[in-house]
Formats: sequence, C-alpha cells, structure tokens
Amino acid sequence: MLIFDQLKRNDPQLRLLTFVVLGGMAALLASLWWIQVVSARDYQENLETQSYRTVRIPAVRGKILDRNGSVLADNQPSYNVSLYLEELRVPFEAAYTAEAIQIRSRLAGQLHQKEKLLGHKLSSKERKAFTLDVQQRNRIQEQTHYEVASNVVQQVSRRLGQPLTLDYTNFERHYEERLALPYPVARRLDPVQIARFEEQANSPMGVDLEIQSLRMYPYGNTAAHLLGYLHRDDRSVEGEDAFFSYRLPDYRGAIGIEAGYDLQLHGRAGEASVLVNNLGYRQAENIWTPAEPGRNVVLTIDVRLQQAAERALQVYGPTTRGAAVVMDVHTGDLLVLASSPVFDPNDFVRGFPPGEYERMQALGAEKNRATFENYAPGSIFKPVVGLACLEAGMDPNAIIYNPGYIYVGRRRIRDLASPGQYDFRRAVMFSSNTYFITNGMKAGIENILRLSRRLHLGERAGLPTRQDTPGILPGLKRIRSNWFDGDTANICIGQGEIAVTPLQMAVMTAALANGGKVLWPRLVDRIESQDPTSGEPPTVLPSGRVRDELGVSPRSLQILRDAMRDEVEDAGTGARAVVPGLRICGKTGTAQVTNEHNQEVDRTTWFISFAPYEKPRYAVVVMVESGNFGSTTCAPIAAKIYEAILEGERDNAQKTLAQAP
Amino acid sequence: MFEDTLNERQSRIDKLQMAGLFGLMLLGAAFVYSATMVGESAGAASWYSQSWFKQIVWYVLGTGLAVGICCVDYHTLSRWSFIAYWTAILLLVVVLIPHIGSTHGWGARRWIDLGPFQGQPSEFAKISFILALANFLSRPVEELSHPLNFWKAIGLMLLPFLLILKEPDLGSALVLLPTGLAMLFAAGTPRRFLARLFGGVGILAALFLVDVLFAPPNWQIKLEDYQRRRLLVYFSKDYTPSSHASKMEVDRLRKQQFDDSHNVRQALISVGSGGLAGKGWRQGTQNALGYLPRKVAHNDFIFSVIAEEEGFVGSVIVITLYSVVLFTGIRIAGQARDRLGRVLAVGVVTLLFSHVFINIGMNVRIMPVTGVPLPLLSYGGSSVLGSLIAMGMLQNVYLYRKAY
Repeated sequence: MLIFDQLKRNDPQLRLLTFVVLGGMAALLASLWWIQVVSARDYQENLETQSYRTVRIPAVRGKILDRNGSVLADNQPSYNVSLYLEELRVPFEAAYTAEAIQIRSRLAGQLHQKEKLLGHKLSSKERKAFTLDVQQRNRIQEQTHYEVASNVVQQVSRRLGQPLTLDYTNFERHYEERLALPYPVARRLDPVQIARFEEQANSPMGVDLEIQSLRMYPYGNTAAHLLGYLHRDDRSVEGEDAFFSYRLPDYRGAIGIEAGYDLQLHGRAGEASVLVNNLGYRQAENIWTPAEPGRNVVLTIDVRLQQAAERALQVYGPTTRGAAVVMDVHTGDLLVLASSPVFDPNDFVRGFPPGEYERMQALGAEKNRATFENYAPGSIFKPVVGLACLEAGMDPNAIIYNPGYIYVGRRRIRDLASPGQYDFRRAVMFSSNTYFITNGMKAGIENILRLSRRLHLGERAGLPTRQDTPGILPGLKRIRSNWFDGDTANICIGQGEIAVTPLQMAVMTAALANGGKVLWPRLVDRIESQDPTSGEPPTVLPSGRVRDELGVSPRSLQILRDAMRDEVEDAGTGARAVVPGLRICGKTGTAQVTNEHNQEVDRTTWFISFAPYEKPRYAVVVMVESGNFGSTTCAPIAAKIYEAILEGERDNAQKTLAQAP
Repeated sequence: MFEDTLNERQSRIDKLQMAGLFGLMLLGAAFVYSATMVGESAGAASWYSQSWFKQIVWYVLGTGLAVGICCVDYHTLSRWSFIAYWTAILLLVVVLIPHIGSTHGWGARRWIDLGPFQGQPSEFAKISFILALANFLSRPVEELSHPLNFWKAIGLMLLPFLLILKEPDLGSALVLLPTGLAMLFAAGTPRRFLARLFGGVGILAALFLVDVLFAPPNWQIKLEDYQRRRLLVYFSKDYTPSSHASKMEVDRLRKQQFDDSHNVRQALISVGSGGLAGKGWRQGTQNALGYLPRKVAHNDFIFSVIAEEEGFVGSVIVITLYSVVLFTGIRIAGQARDRLGRVLAVGVVTLLFSHVFINIGMNVRIMPVTGVPLPLLSYGGSSVLGSLIAMGMLQNVYLYRKAY
C-alpha cells in the first residue's frame, strides 16, 4: 500500500512511529470488536433494563349474568384526573431555577454581611456554609416539584368544583417510585365533573382524564353471597410474566363466583413498556402484549326470582338470618340461592359507608347461609327416616298411639303433635315424633344412614363459591361403638349428631320429587366470550348430572309424596304454604339449638317443598334462624316464592305467545 | 506547458489525506447534528445558531486558515515560532486569572471570552509548541547530543504542560508528552537521553499512580478531587473511605462513585448496544433519553454517538479515516525536505494520534476519562481550528517536499 512506503525505507524512527500508530489503531479496533460485536447483547440488555419499565395492565373482567341475560356483575368506566409528570418537566425546572437563584442570592448577601462584620474574607472552607450542598438542592427540588404540582391540582380543583389537595408524602413517593406513571389527582368523577372538565378547551398543563375499568354490581346486594366480591390484588396469575416494574390496580375474586371462576373471569393481563429517560420521566409508551379480556360466566340463577326470594326472606327485617334455595328438580339448576342478612359487594370496590363494615361483621353477613353453615334439620329429616322405614317393610297404614311424649330409655321426648292415633300420612302431616322414633328404631340406624349417605349428606355439594360446608353425618364406625338408642332417636327427628345445609336439603327434596335421582347442584350454566361476535363456542356445563340414586321403590316415594302433599293441602303443618293454582308437597321442621346443658337456646325453622305435585319441577327450601316454627315462619316464605315462580312462568308464557308468529 | 504546471500544482497536495479529512468533517457535521438535535427544545433555536451549523462554519474557517498556512513556506513559519510559542504561553497564563479565564461551569479555567466566541488557548498552545519544538530541534544533529540542548527541549515541553495542568486540563496537558517525545526521537536525539527520560518519566508515573491508588490519604499527592476520582474509576477502585467512616459517609461515597462512573458506563452501553450495524442515524436512544449526558455527547463523547448509531461498521469507518490521515502524515514526514519538516510532520501526526487514541480509548474504557476532544469530530471551535491548522502545516511540509 502506498501509504506504508516508509516501512520499506531505511528510516528506523518513522518505522517505529508507524508501528506504534498501527498498534494503537489495532488496539482500538480490537476493543471495539469486543464491545460491539462479541458482547453487544450484554450492553443491549443493559440498555433495556435502564431505559424500559414494564407495566402490567389488567384485563377487563368478564361479566356475570343470570339465566335470562341480566347482568349481575358488570364493568363501569371510572374517570380519574391524572397528572402526567413528564409534561411538567419544564415548569419543574423553571421553578427550581428561580428558587435556587433566590436562595443563592440570599446566601450571598448573608456571606457579604458576615465578611463585613468580621472585616476579612472567609476561607473557602468557611464559605461552604453559604453554598447549597447536594442535600439542600434535592430538598429544594422536592419542594418546587410539589409546589408546581400543587398549583396544577388547585386549577383542577377549581374546574371540577371539588376541593382537592395534593398530599406531600404521597406525591413524593410517587415521584420517587412511579415517576413513569401518571399521578391520580381525583378519582371517580361524576358525570357533571367530567362534563365540566371537558367543556373548557385547554386543560391545565400536564393534566388529563384517565379511564379505569371498575367492577359494578347493578343489583346491589342481590345474590351478593353467591356472586362474592373482589379484593385488590395486582399480582401476576399463573402463566403471566412475573416481573413488572409497575402494576396498575387489579382485582381478584375473594369469594363466591368471583373467586371460584376467577381464572376465567380474570382474563390475561397485558404488558406495556414505557421508555423512560435518564431522570425516569416517561418518553414513550407502547403495548407489547394487549390484555385479553376475561370470559363471561352465565349462571343458572333467575335474578327476578332471587330478588323475590330475598324479599320474602326478610320476615324479621334486614337482620333476618336465613336462606332460601330454589332448584330445578330435573336439571339440578339453582334458580335461587339466597342468604340473609345481605351485603353490598360494590362496597368492596368503592369503599364502605361509615359503620357498614362493622355492621356486616357483627351480622356475619358475608356468610352464605344456604351453603356455608351447619344446621340441625329437625323434622324435615323425617321424610328420609320415613323412606327408610317403608323400605324396611313398615306398613304405612299401621297405627301407633301418640300420648304426647315418648320415652327413650329414661329420657322423655315431647311430641308436639296432639295425642291420638297416627298412621304414616298423619304422622307426616303433623310431624309426630313418637311415630318416627318408634318406627325409625325398628328400621334401625343403619338403614337411615345408608339412605342419608346416598343423599350425600355430610359431603360438600360441589359449589364453586368457596363457601361450601359438608355438614355432619355419623359414619358406620361411629355407630358401632358408644352409640345408644337415644342417639338413634335423635337422628329420627333430625336432631343430635346430624347437620345439613339448606342446599343439601334442596338436593334431597329434589330427589324425593324426581323419583330418586340425587343431582349435583348446578350454579353455572356456561362460560362464553365477552365479545358475542368472536364466534368462540361457549363452554356449557352439563346439566342434570346424577350424583347418586336413592334406590327406593316408586311405591315408597309415592306414599311419602302423597303424605307431604296432604301436609300442605289437608290442613297439616305446612298449610300456610298453600298457593292457589299450584299443588305443593312440603314438610316443616323446627330444630332445637341446645347448649351444653341440653337447654333450648335457639331454633332453626325449616320448610322443604316441591311442586307441582303432578309433575314436580321446583324444589323450594326455606330456612330461618331463630324463627318461631317451620309452619308459621318458613311456610309463608315458600308460598311467596312459589307465587313469584308462577308469575315468572306467566310472563314467560306471554312472551312466547307474543313472539309466536 | 500550461498543462504541465496544472498537473504539478495538482500533485502538490496530498489528495488521499484531503479525502480522509473531508470524510471526517462530513461525519463530524452529521453527528454533531444527531447529537444535538434531540428533545423538543432543540429545533426551536434558529438554524444559524445551532451547533451543527456552527461546526460547519468552524470547518470552513479552519480550512481557510489551513490554506492560508499552505501559502507560506514552513521555513518562514518556523521563524515566527517563538513569537507564537510565547504568545501561547502568555494566553495560558492569562486564562488562569479569574475574571478573564472562564470556567463555563466546569470547574476548570480553560476558556477566554472573546465577545461572542470563546477560545481555548490550550488548543493553540499545542500547535505553537509543535512549531517551536520543531524549530528548536531542526538544528544540526550533533548539537542535539549536547545535554543542555536536550534539557532546553524538555523545558520547552514542560512549560506549557504545567500551565495547562494548572487549568486544570489533564488530558490536553498529557498529549504534549508523547508529542514532544516523538519529535525528540524523530529529530535524532541520542538514544541514551531518551532512554533516561523514558525511564525517569515511567518511574514517576508509576509512583504517582501507586500513590493515588494505594497510599493512605495523608500521604497522597494533592490532586484535584475529580481527577483523583476519575483515576479511581478507571482502575475500578472503590473510593476508599477511611475504615472508621460512618455508614452515611460510605453511602455518600458509594453513590458518588456510581455517579462518577456514570459517563463511562453510559458511553460503554452506547457503544456496545450499537452492535454490528448500529441503530441508524438519529435513532440512538442513549443520547436522546439523556443517559449519555447532553453536555458531553456532542463533544468528548461524540464517538459513542457514532458507535451507537452506526455500529461496528461506523467505528471501522472512523478508525479507517483517521488511519488514512495518520499514515499519509507519516509518509509526508518521510518525504520531507529537511529535518524541520520531518519533525514538524511527526509532531502533528503524534498529536493527532494521541487525541484519537485517548478519546476513543476513553469511550471503550481502555483509557481513563480525560477531557480530550476527538479531532474534527467533536464539537468545538478551538479544537476544529487547531486540528485544521495542524493539518495545514502537514500539507505545507508536503508542498515543499524534496521530490522537486
């Protein structure tokens, strides 16, 4: 090469210089090769970690609908006014500079005075006291940021007509930790405020509206227990990226369907990346993965019926403790799953009114009494005992004399049915303890328990609401040792070592009504996409799933059904459940809640029923704690529910008529 | 006849070197533009007051000065060298006087305000030093073996070195040393002098570093605090707080260390993230987002900007262009008519090489951070003018070479 001519010449000095320059350039090239080609990836990663922040964006939660498409849990846009701090950089800096100049000139004045006072110049070390050090500068910066932001907030406040203050510590924390995200100034604007904010053309600097999706339950406290509620939880769910610099507020179901189907409702959070500059201010934002909205859950509940049942349940006002269940006896669909007292799931998202949370806690309102509490069944267990007796060969026409009490061993058990002659029909109608204890002991505890086990008492009902209790039923082991006749007698009248939930009783009633099929209760009908045009097929959950067969003869069931019909229709204890136009079969129950001294402290009143007698479709179970009697407290509630059912059927019929061509 | 003269005239300048210089100026203008035209406020200023335009003005002015210098035989120039040298020394003294020398908020007095312009006397001192030393060394070879002349030459070098060091501007002062040594060597100074000097300087430098890095605090030479910290950063040493320092003090030092190594770290990230092909002109994020400090991105760290936006390919182009200029420079030295021309050319080449090596080396962390501009690429009037004048002198030596 021409420019290396001097290498050939005999000129040692220039040759050495050439080698040095060549070596230097080669060293530079080698380092550049190493940095830019070999380890480029490392530096690119470094660049990304320092200049990108990832933000987790929650997906829009799926809705919860009832069987007719009424929305029980919805999402509502909530408008926040937010400060976009990166747009305030210029005023931040201007305010800081102005403030720093002022302070510096004041310090300079003080220095001048001091020197004048001393009569000589201060050494540079002593002068340090009159200059701003890093900490002071940081503090001034902090204060001026706050002042600028606070002024903007005051402008927003005037515009919204709502007093707003900027919290100093909150703002500083946000500035330190979440600078790349907007700072919320006012949350949940009402429509008037939104209009006021929008109508003026130029909003204050760095301020804008931000939309957030917020859970809303349009029916308020209706079906609150089975819907459940949300709690704030920004964590990543399984399958999502676990590492985010920031997370936007997200919610997860705490209980009820919201919790049980959280995975489906929740959707998949998206990921945005925010490009930040060296100070952490946001420069640009783009969405890497968009959030996938959650899926809708359609329930088997009929919200109109549910409302009617909840209203009917309030016999003692809003503090009534009780539950009502309506179940389709063929499909297992739960049309009503009501519990009282109620709460408003909206409060968990929007905050509680004063005193409300304490009220809820005191009443135990969060508990779904239809599925999550053990109750002694009392007389409503007699149908099971009766069936066991009939299957064991008892003659339903055989008559037993009831003196008004019965001795089991030395214990005297009262019989509320008036003294007299009782056959099976009368014994059911007036709920004779003497009759059922006498015959039940003859049939034997094992027969009764076998039937109970087929009804899956003592086992969970398999509800996805996370409030599902198994109840109590003694096992075979239990009755083999230390089991006395008194215990059997107790079981025969639904007391003692047995506890059930209203839902279990509904499953039992449905089995009596449908000819012996013990069904899985069904609360969720299908899960479908939020977007009806997506073409994605809904996931339909199977209906009418049989869990077990009672295995009793149709004759026995018919005898029992007839007796239960007469209990309602023939002036039995269930007479108050009569609804014109519907033949109802029912059984009342009043269980004693006793303390350790075997004294009655409370009562659980019951009414189980199904209708219509000819072709049963609905099983209705009502339970009220601290009621009077099953016959006086619960039967009328059931009547109201049946009326609502009839009304609904009439409406549907009219609708189908109107739609018919 | 006319044809011949024209050809003669054309062959009188080194065209390859001119091409290299032109390429560098093109790159310089493009990347000063890229480095400064970021953010919302950048486009607001009128075009004639923006850095890239000013840089072009400096290029034009510098080229004019270089052409002017080419018109005068370097022998004539060297006769004025001592006046130039002492003027430069005077300016270096003046700049140290408060109220005349300006700090530009950098903590070092390096600038003299001349109305709308500011000059850095150290840039001109470098050139006048080369001219003066070349003039001094151009005496007959036999005289150079006289120790007195050797020490005079050393003195000639140390005076501006110490004055620039006092500003303080360690980088600009340091580049004088290899330049002076190379000139002494090229002029034919006896080996034994050079060996002794080399040994002496080497031992002193080693002692200096050991002292700064390892000695207990009260045994250390008094350096400007920031200079000491830069050296510590370069050698990846912790800022040694005394063992009984409070936790707050340790934290403060640790934070300071992080802040101080910030520029180097960010320059490395810029260079490395450019990869093979780079991100494209004006697409670099390190500078745009302010990680690479805006104050230095367009001057001392312009190479990071080029390397990030044009990748390894861009780096190779820059290195190649400098190599062309340097090796043609050495060729000019070999073709020079006499020892004056030869030593002058060697001085200019070494000065340029020192700048390039220290500056790019600092970007890739093989050299400590010292405020040395990258000739012709970095933004700055004094640096551009100085570099172009030096190039003019090189071409001058070529014009009056021995070939004719």
